[in-house]
Amino acid sequence: MSRFEFKLPDIGEGVSEGEIVGWLVHVGDAVSENQDMVEVMTDKATVTIGAPKSGKVVELRGGEGDTVPVGTVLVVLDVGGGDSAATNAKPAANTGERPATKKAEPAERADAKQTAKGAAPAKAKTEKDDAEDDVDESDDASDAGDTDDESEEASSGSKSVHASAVGDIREDLPGIPRSPKAPADDYRNDKPLASPATRKLARERGVDLRRVRPSGDAGRVTREDVERMAVSGAEQPAPAQKSASRAPAAGAHNGNGTSTTVAQAKPPAAVPTAQGETRVPIRGLRKRIYENMARAKHTAAHFTYVDECDVTELKRIREAAKSTAEQSGVHLTYLPLIVKAVVGALKRHPALNCLVDDAAMEMVLRTSYDIGIAVATEGGLTVPVLRNADRLTVIETAREIDRLGTEARTGKTRREDLGGSSFTITSLGKDGGLFATPIVNYPEVAILGIHQMKRKPVIRGDQIVPGEVMLLSLSFDHRIIDGHVGAAFAQEVIHFLEAPERLLLEMR
Amino acid sequence: MPQMNMVQAINDALRVGMRRDDRVVLLGEDIGRVGGVFRVTQGLFDEFGEDRVIDTPLSENGIVGCAIGMALYGLVPVPEIQFSDFIWPAYDQIVNELAKYRYRSGGEYSAKMVIRTPVGGGVRGGHYHSQHPEAPFVHVPGLKVVCPSNPYDAKGLLLASLRDPDPIVFFEPKRVYRAAKGLVPEDEFTVPIGVASIAREGTDVTVIAYGAMLYEALDAAAKVAEKGIESEVIDLRTLWPVDIETILTSVRKTGRLVIVHEAPRTCGLGAELVSLVTEKAFYSLEAPPVRVTGFDTPFPYSLEAEYLPLSHRIVPAILQSARA
Amino acid sequence: MDGTDKSREPMPRASTEIIRTLREDGSLAPEYDPHLSNDEVLRLYRHMVETRYLDERLTALQRQGRIGFHVGSLGEEGAIIGAAFATRKQDWLFPCYREFGAALLRGLDFQRFIDNMFGNANDTVKGRQMPDHYTSKAAHWLSISSPVGTQITQAVGFAWAGKLKKDDLATLVYFGDGATSSSDFHSGMNFAGVFKIPTVFFCRNNGWAISVPAERQTASETFAVKGVAYGVPFVRVDGNDVFAVVHAVRKAIERGARGDGPTLIEALTYRMGGHSTSDDPNVYRASDATKAWADRDPIERVRQYMRKVQGWTDDRDKEIIQEVDRRFRAAVEIAEKTPKPALETLVEDVYASPTWNLIEQREALLAGPRPNEHG
Repeated sequence: MSRFEFKLPDIGEGVSEGEIVGWLVHVGDAVSENQDMVEVMTDKATVTIGAPKSGKVVELRGGEGDTVPVGTVLVVLDVGGGDSAATNAKPAANTGERPATKKAEPAERADAKQTAKGAAPAKAKTEKDDAEDDVDESDDASDAGDTDDESEEASSGSKSVHASAVGDIREDLPGIPRSPKAPADDYRNDKPLASPATRKLARERGVDLRRVRPSGDAGRVTREDVERMAVSGAEQPAPAQKSASRAPAAGAHNGNGTSTTVAQAKPPAAVPTAQGETRVPIRGLRKRIYENMARAKHTAAHFTYVDECDVTELKRIREAAKSTAEQSGVHLTYLPLIVKAVVGALKRHPALNCLVDDAAMEMVLRTSYDIGIAVATEGGLTVPVLRNADRLTVIETAREIDRLGTEARTGKTRREDLGGSSFTITSLGKDGGLFATPIVNYPEVAILGIHQMKRKPVIRGDQIVPGEVMLLSLSFDHRIIDGHVGAAFAQEVIHFLEAPERLLLEMR
Repeated sequence: MPQMNMVQAINDALRVGMRRDDRVVLLGEDIGRVGGVFRVTQGLFDEFGEDRVIDTPLSENGIVGCAIGMALYGLVPVPEIQFSDFIWPAYDQIVNELAKYRYRSGGEYSAKMVIRTPVGGGVRGGHYHSQHPEAPFVHVPGLKVVCPSNPYDAKGLLLASLRDPDPIVFFEPKRVYRAAKGLVPEDEFTVPIGVASIAREGTDVTVIAYGAMLYEALDAAAKVAEKGIESEVIDLRTLWPVDIETILTSVRKTGRLVIVHEAPRTCGLGAELVSLVTEKAFYSLEAPPVRVTGFDTPFPYSLEAEYLPLSHRIVPAILQSARA
Repeated sequence: MDGTDKSREPMPRASTEIIRTLREDGSLAPEYDPHLSNDEVLRLYRHMVETRYLDERLTALQRQGRIGFHVGSLGEEGAIIGAAFATRKQDWLFPCYREFGAALLRGLDFQRFIDNMFGNANDTVKGRQMPDHYTSKAAHWLSISSPVGTQITQAVGFAWAGKLKKDDLATLVYFGDGATSSSDFHSGMNFAGVFKIPTVFFCRNNGWAISVPAERQTASETFAVKGVAYGVPFVRVDGNDVFAVVHAVRKAIERGARGDGPTLIEALTYRMGGHSTSDDPNVYRASDATKAWADRDPIERVRQYMRKVQGWTDDRDKEIIQEVDRRFRAAVEIAEKTPKPALETLVEDVYASPTWNLIEQREALLAGPRPNEHG
């Protein structure tokens, strides 16, 4: 038989450990490639990890609820074939398991191996390796010679290396990112090019630059690339983290090359105690919410502004457009229109489209309009981001919001949809009540809460007439946003909502 | 407030300083009756006499060596080195004696003076009337180095230099001696040593210049502004101690740095500024710092417009930085 | 050649002529007799003897590794101390580096001198310079730098300033024969000649610039004759005749005080030792080269005079030695116990107040690791 040891990969950027939420396979099961095997929760998200290759489950290591470090063998598969052994976490560079004394490899080699690792084939091993089957893999790693690595690459069918009669013809160059057509999850460049400021931003935002697909000249990672990758509130590393000194970015990166999506952690199992109370561990997504909310509340100087607005006309337009949208397969809610109003108001009040960099004592004014959309999920509040909201039509906005909401609620939020927003909208819908005091999505400086919409008497001219009235509450970071600035912004939003024909002028 | 050019402003500063303080003594070549080859000391011989405006033999090390003796006695000598290209015979006196006097005597003595000397090219002066040798002076502990760009700063900095307790090398950008004009107060005023000025505010790229090249930097800034790039142009004014805070504040804002100087690039002042910024504001940098400087050659005669870091070379440097 | 100022007073008529007062029999020739009192002669003599003793002891300290360096004046005590003796209180001295005996005569505090030899916290130059690079403003003694000749233009500038301010002062600048080759000698002489500056250019022609003999410094017939080129009156004096040296310097200072400007004095003497403790003259100088000069030892010649005039005895020499030895031992004991200068003094006095970079560097220095002491 041929053993394949599946090790817990770094499924976030810089995640150092994960909790086994549940096994989806049993010992003895035959699994096919990509078949879900295990759910693992990191402090960010719960990830379902699929089998990197077909085989039979020989061993499952670790029980549900166990927290295991990255690099630990989770599953042993018998993948058949000849006598050989393999692992998904081959001694490639940068998995964090390599002994520190081993000198760094040239970038292109690490790159190629990484790709090979991504494809995770059963590698034809040498006899020497065979004899070391039971030896700890990290030892194997440091012992692996270049020749061995080459054979791994050659046999892997790696995307970046083609075997030929005269040698390995690489399709990528060291230090130059590979084709942007590759799926985002696969992207990795161990020598990313980025300006010092971008590197600093990446550190602050907990983004692993090696995994950021660059859009800049000559393959440079730009600030925007980092922002896109970043996840709100992923800055602080957990104190206990060892190998991953930086905070994990949101979402799971699949080091295995199998497809995964980011799922919000399900609430951890409640544990009844003898005292008749129930203690529920604050873990995963809840822990992130716990930390982020506390930081936002402790850092920003909140003030909240509430007002009502007459959305009678907005309602009329929405009703009119609804069926048209329906024909495009889109359910048109008010939210896309509110997003448009917010973007219009942000353009007139750019100070609100802003992040605060407390470390640098700087306001980071944004030129793109990436609107966080707060979504309530079973695991807790999550905020996927509507990118470049200013460039989307209302229909596109609606479709995108629908996608983000659906994926969030079903635990399928994509990594690229998290992080990097500069303004957030939280819609409380029918349960919205009269007003609330939203907490800003730190380090943003403003958040809009949407409350109930009711039919109420409104005064038009000298007449009291029935109208649709929506209640809004906006919170601002008073350290950055003065009262009159916040109020002016709020009035701008209201103005757009009350006179939605103005939104036409904002259209692209 | 009268309008003055650089020559008039420096002349006025010397006059005001000499009237205020009878310890101030000028010495140098041709500074007396003829008023200096650039006429900077014109009229001072007539007003203050040959004991305070002293035409000396042609010996730079004699001028500076004697000036050190005068300073040790307690005068405030203002030696003029006719062209900074001629300063090297005095370099030993400046480096080993003047700059070290306070230190090597444990603070018992100090030799305070202001060495005035015209610098820079663009005057059809060839090798020996064009150099801009600030770096070898900035490199010397104990010296302060000043280089104003305009009449107001020239007068204010010179008067501040006369009051400063330390030896100062005062570089006068001769290319703009008469071209740079502005309103200058008649009475005594000072511009603080060690403080740069923001010649143009901007958000996108920090451009550091001084002396005659400031105008080239401003011209380049205006040109790139047409392309939507707002340069912040810093006029260093004092080359050492350099106003690091102003530089860092600007670079932290823009993330981009372009440095302009006439002197050769290698080990020029720009090299030190780049080092300082990289050490102190590395994580604010969005782009590699760019130096626009003279070439690493002696100063040429016929091709001087090619040699000098004029606007035509600064514009692409700013664009390069902004787009990096 | 005639460097004299005949209208004023008799001076030697040729640059090769050497003025001398002290005859071999210990009597004084009247022409150049400075008419010193017995106390004055005793003071001169005492300083010369002490200087020689200190040279010997300081050299021993250097050999023991207790101080790093010493540059002595063996054989040149008459020229060095005689010149300083002739200066007035208001005059200022611009030393070379071989004249500690003159500094002590002018009032350099003895303990501070020894502190300087150790570079300790009480050293007036705060341990920043090598030994023998002390200063003393109270003694009108300027700062010493090692480059040769640079003090010459400074001495001219200082006296020039005094002249501009109509102060009655002269400067006396010491330099060796080697320094006459420097551009500062040329510039200083030239400026002083042009502006009639009251500076006494005191050239200790001790025969050697480290290993290079005087004849390699100039093709001029003498060093004194160089004054002709600058219009500076000159005199050549027996540097081992302290009376003649005092006479010549006094006359030069008087000349300056009259407004007649500078004088170049070439004092013929001989460096009996090495250039410094770092030098071994046997490498380049015949072992018997000093013999002729030993017979003209400046101290022995004064002693002979004192025996003759004052009834001087060897016991009194012993008293002088015992007294200076006692002071020396006490001073060394204190100096050796005195700690090094404080760390923060490293960045002081570069400017009147430290610039931002020095403040930064001071913080790093204070916070940073310390080197291994190398003794």
